[in-house]
Amino acid sequence: MAKSKLLVVGGGLAGLMTTMKAAEMGTEVELFSLVPVKRSHSVCAQGGMNGAVNTKGEGDSPWIHFDDTVYGGDFLANQPPVKAMCEAAPGIIHLLDRMGVMFNRTPEGLLDFRRFGGTMHHRTAFAGATTGQQLLYALDEQVRKWEVEGLVTKFEGWEFLGLILDEQGVCKGIKAQDLATHEIRAFRGDAVVMATGGPGIIFGKSTNSMINTGSAASIVYQQGAKYANGEMIQIHPTAIPGDDKLRLMSESARGEGGRIWTYKDGKPWYFLEEKYPAYGNLVPRDVATREIFDVCINQKLGINGENVVYLDLSHKDPHELDIKLGGIIEIYQKFVGDDPHKVPMKIFPAVHYSMGGLYVDYDQHTTIPGCFAAGECDYSQHGGNRLGANSLLSAIYGGTVAGPNAVNYIKGLDKHVEDLPSKIYDDAVREEQAKWNEVISMDKGNENAYLLHKELGELMTNNVTVVRYNKQLQETLEKLAEFKERWNNINVNDTAKWSNQGIQFTRQLRNMLALANVITKGALLRDESRGAHYKPEFPERDDENFLKTTIAEFTPSFDPIITYEEVDCSMIKPRKRDYTGGAH
Amino acid sequence: MAKEKEFYWRRLHSLLGLIPVGLFLVFHLLVNFQATKGVEAFNEAAGLVEKMPFLLVLEWVVIYIPLMFHAFYGVYIAFTAKSNLKRFGTTRNWFFMLQRLSGIFLVIFIAWHIWQTRLQKTLADAEVNYDMMADIVSNPAMLAFYIVGIIAATFHLSNGIWSFLVSWGITQSKQSQKVATWVTMIFFVLLSVVGVMAILAFV
Amino acid sequence: MAEQKTITVKVKRQDSPEASTRWEEFEVPYRPNMNVISVLMKIRENPVTTSGKKTTPVAWDMNCLEEVCGACSMVINGRPRQSCSALVDQLQQPLTIEPMSTFPIIRDLQVDRSRMFDSLKKVKAWVPIDGTYDLGEGPRLPERKREWAYELSKCMTCGVCLESCPNVNSGSSFMGPAPLSQVRLFNTHPTGAMVKDERLNAIMGDGGLANCGNSQNCVQACPKGIPLTTSIASLNRAATVQMFKNFFGSDHMVD
Repeated sequence: MAKSKLLVVGGGLAGLMTTMKAAEMGTEVELFSLVPVKRSHSVCAQGGMNGAVNTKGEGDSPWIHFDDTVYGGDFLANQPPVKAMCEAAPGIIHLLDRMGVMFNRTPEGLLDFRRFGGTMHHRTAFAGATTGQQLLYALDEQVRKWEVEGLVTKFEGWEFLGLILDEQGVCKGIKAQDLATHEIRAFRGDAVVMATGGPGIIFGKSTNSMINTGSAASIVYQQGAKYANGEMIQIHPTAIPGDDKLRLMSESARGEGGRIWTYKDGKPWYFLEEKYPAYGNLVPRDVATREIFDVCINQKLGINGENVVYLDLSHKDPHELDIKLGGIIEIYQKFVGDDPHKVPMKIFPAVHYSMGGLYVDYDQHTTIPGCFAAGECDYSQHGGNRLGANSLLSAIYGGTVAGPNAVNYIKGLDKHVEDLPSKIYDDAVREEQAKWNEVISMDKGNENAYLLHKELGELMTNNVTVVRYNKQLQETLEKLAEFKERWNNINVNDTAKWSNQGIQFTRQLRNMLALANVITKGALLRDESRGAHYKPEFPERDDENFLKTTIAEFTPSFDPIITYEEVDCSMIKPRKRDYTGGAH
Repeated sequence: MAKEKEFYWRRLHSLLGLIPVGLFLVFHLLVNFQATKGVEAFNEAAGLVEKMPFLLVLEWVVIYIPLMFHAFYGVYIAFTAKSNLKRFGTTRNWFFMLQRLSGIFLVIFIAWHIWQTRLQKTLADAEVNYDMMADIVSNPAMLAFYIVGIIAATFHLSNGIWSFLVSWGITQSKQSQKVATWVTMIFFVLLSVVGVMAILAFV
Repeated sequence: MAEQKTITVKVKRQDSPEASTRWEEFEVPYRPNMNVISVLMKIRENPVTTSGKKTTPVAWDMNCLEEVCGACSMVINGRPRQSCSALVDQLQQPLTIEPMSTFPIIRDLQVDRSRMFDSLKKVKAWVPIDGTYDLGEGPRLPERKREWAYELSKCMTCGVCLESCPNVNSGSSFMGPAPLSQVRLFNTHPTGAMVKDERLNAIMGDGGLANCGNSQNCVQACPKGIPLTTSIASLNRAATVQMFKNFFGSDHMVD
């Protein structure tokens, strides 16, 4: 019998952790990534990673972490996997520390922890303000070691084109394309783990990296996998407005004492501290975002009439800022030109993270047998809103679950892919080649893919972000249907058969449209306000009707079939979410 | 060249540049400096060198072999570099290029110099003395060639000392490397003065 | 209406690794606080040269746009750097944009930097751990040492230091400053140091440490301000010691 093989798509934290776990169990892994894995979007995470190590004598515990996470997510997450994640968190932090992550230390040489939003505890381990980068590098290095040892083969600069399913609909490999040569190949795999990140680019400008189109997850969804809670899109309260990107200004800035304010009646007004005396500037992101949005849009109290408010660190010790927040201070200095040591930073909310994603069971298994998912592209951990510094944790934790479970799944198979006839693979390549040829010959139309994407981004940002109205959501769906038609009229401007980025983008754009429908329709049908999803027409949470996971299934018209599934709240009984008081 | 031995060849190259080649250069220029004190003084000093026992063996072991290794391996090193002074006009980048240019020039200059003052002597049995040098530098072009050669040599040695200190891990910090730059450049000026005064004494 | 201010930009283009190069000039509407990436984005939205010729969109690599991923290195006005943090207001015009010529060109501004990742394999740039099981806490580390090591750990393998180094080119096998500095990082980590002799011996091989010619451009060019030349000098000292150890046969290679 041939040796079993696992395919991992995506080389961020989740994909790398999956790879390590599987390699450690002796399974051969082929790892696919659009970019060299060291350039994955995980590098952009800044503030840190949560784990209740309780080194500050605060009586913190994994249970409290679990409770904060579930409460912060407005009870939309199934609780067993969240509890398991919070229990694993301290161990994961120590593991990363052993790998050489340069976490900030206390004077005694122990790990230091800082505060983050949605909790009263110092629970966030951090490496300056580039924690995601540091964690990714550590995993990248470990995977490189496995590469040298021959168990891992990387395919960097390859794009995922789809799963290969047998007659029973079981996943037996993937189709992928080399981004330079455009060679399309079928890869046999006994199981596949999708670790392909979030879809922020659907909103045009966001805090996300350029590869975060959600295209890969969308393809799997289009192949029949269920997609859950798509409407739950986190808008980060503090980002630097920019022409090409909205650059994240980490929550750790507030965790280290940064204050949000604007002028009211000529005097500084610390509106978060005033309204939420216990949590102050460290309310969860959805709460902070709505407040800033309200101050700027409804009350028109943005700085100089623009849609920005101040995030102020200028009262802090400059040396301490450099040590604890160096990375983000540098970003602000480089891209804006002002010095946050001296002047307050101007910030505004921006699309940041998708709580929703591919539907997975507690083994990270999607609804397609043999296909697993981990990281931002799965929906499992954050419910209706993610707490800051939980994403690095959920990405790595997802990998530690998906890897071993995929290996165990493979062990249970009676036939290995190397023994399968080559027909399904040959057919898969032919099918993709035909699709490719179709897109590459799109040179008659008059739409520009990038401009169409810009319009999509504006449409989604204006109607499906902080505040949502049913009328606008309905209109957005109609527009999206138009966009789907307009997509056919794209002129790719470039028919080169070598490193043709325009064609890749055009293909991704179509997948973005499919997911945009999921996000918008999920939002339209959820007539309540919960976590990041806020409808002024339905300002209250409605547990009776909507304490349910939204599940979307693909139809060729792009208009998804939406159903609902009960949420497992067996451990913590849902209670009203309110941050105006003290500890919840 | 043997595989995976590059490190040792480079270190040898760095070491030989200083000991014995660099030391010999200093010694040589000091002997020449005697010329500023008159014909007699120079001839006496040069004669002393000539009278050393095992001169031929010493010449080969202490000068020719190390010098040739340093020269030929150095040319190889120089030609693996690709200048980018236009992009990076810093002092260190200039020195990096000058080290290579002076090195290549010195290979030509020293080859000529040895031919003119040693090999010809052996072939034609001429005597090495003040008159011989005076004869050579009576040609202004030759004098210029020698002055440039001497300055190239003193620069190459001085900057070579700076590189040696870094390459062997003696100066690590920015501060110590900066101080080393000053010290070696003062050394360069002083040694150049000695060398140029000496050659002018033959005019 | 006031006339729209524009930016003139010249881009060095090459359709494929074998194709010949050409320069194309574009005119792009100016916006305050624009970076080079947004200039290139404008071009792909309307790929027409100044002379009105229709052309293909420029191919280039980018990802994070906030100078942490290392993807978007290119040579802008003669200087290798990250194009995301290259703000148009701080640059002389017309802008000239070229690929980093030290690396094999894929298309236009895209280059193949895989040699850098191969070097990281060669120098064993990782902390050897027993496994991902829960084995308790990591080693303690003085905070000041951590602060220093953190600076080295920010290297994003962007390739700018290799591009700036006169000794890294098609005629030499020099691995360049980036992987060397990583050796220094891992050799100071308490667990990483357990195999420090293996890493030193690796960089004492061909294409390694001794190829540095001390032009010190790398430290000028590094977008992350990594003290590359100090790393190299420090490794030089360690290699000197290792060389004697190797030759005279000390029986403990790691201390």
